[in-house]
Amino acid sequence: MPVPAYTFLLLSGVLFTMGAVGFLVRRNPLVVFMCIELMLNAVNLAFVAISRYLNSLDGVVFAFLVITVAAAEVVVGIAIIVQVYRAGRPMDVDDLDLMKE
Amino acid sequence: MVVGFALVAAWEIVTAAGVVAFRRPIYNALSLVANMLGLAVLFLMLNAQFLFAAQVIVYAGAVMVLFVFIIALMNPESDVTLPPRGNEWIYGGVFGVIFAALLVSLLFNRGLTGRPGTLTPEAIAAVGNVQTVGIALYTKFLFPVEVTSLLLLIAAVGAVYLAMRRIR
Repeated sequence: MPVPAYTFLLLSGVLFTMGAVGFLVRRNPLVVFMCIELMLNAVNLAFVAISRYLNSLDGVVFAFLVITVAAAEVVVGIAIIVQVYRAGRPMDVDDLDLMKE
Repeated sequence: MVVGFALVAAWEIVTAAGVVAFRRPIYNALSLVANMLGLAVLFLMLNAQFLFAAQVIVYAGAVMVLFVFIIALMNPESDVTLPPRGNEWIYGGVFGVIFAALLVSLLFNRGLTGRPGTLTPEAIAAVGNVQTVGIALYTKFLFPVEVTSLLLLIAAVGAVYLAMRRIR
């Protein structure tokens, strides 16, 4: 008995929601980044599930491109976090409000 | 198949909770590695073998090595010393419930519409999964792939520039 498509989409939605909650609640920039990765992974799961159940490869290719872009995003984001750390600022996203004014 | 899916789904939710809830960043990172490996298994169940390999190599391998490396270089206890605010988890939980309810209602209202394509699992198995993905990448999606390669180049240059520069 195959698994119906919407269970994969439900799991994807649950994972995305957990990532979004973590993104809002956590204050360590590294953990915030990990929550973003969690959300990207959840979207990838939805892409691949829809692609599988509609007999198409477009979703798989899209998920592959998402993985690539996420890797680039992590590299630049972690470089910025390391710069903030080297400048001696506290590792708390609530205190990093230089761009607010 | 259903039992395997239930096991992997439970694994995914537990490790995702670990990513969100653990206090020490190294535990968050290791939970995320477990989460990504479980997701790779789900890709395998969805007949996406190429993406399974990409997920394990790029995400669970390269990206998470970067995370763990940075956590080891910086002070791993910094998040533990942050004073807790208390009600942030309540607001986060309320947001999560509302957001999940919206997503689920959307899913059950619209369903899976769309015209099925021609690439059934049998058609993919006749050519090979990596071959079909490769053909799609270098014919139909040639321009996005080239743009992504340019993006990777820009990201590499930007990371090196940020690492060289001293900010205060």
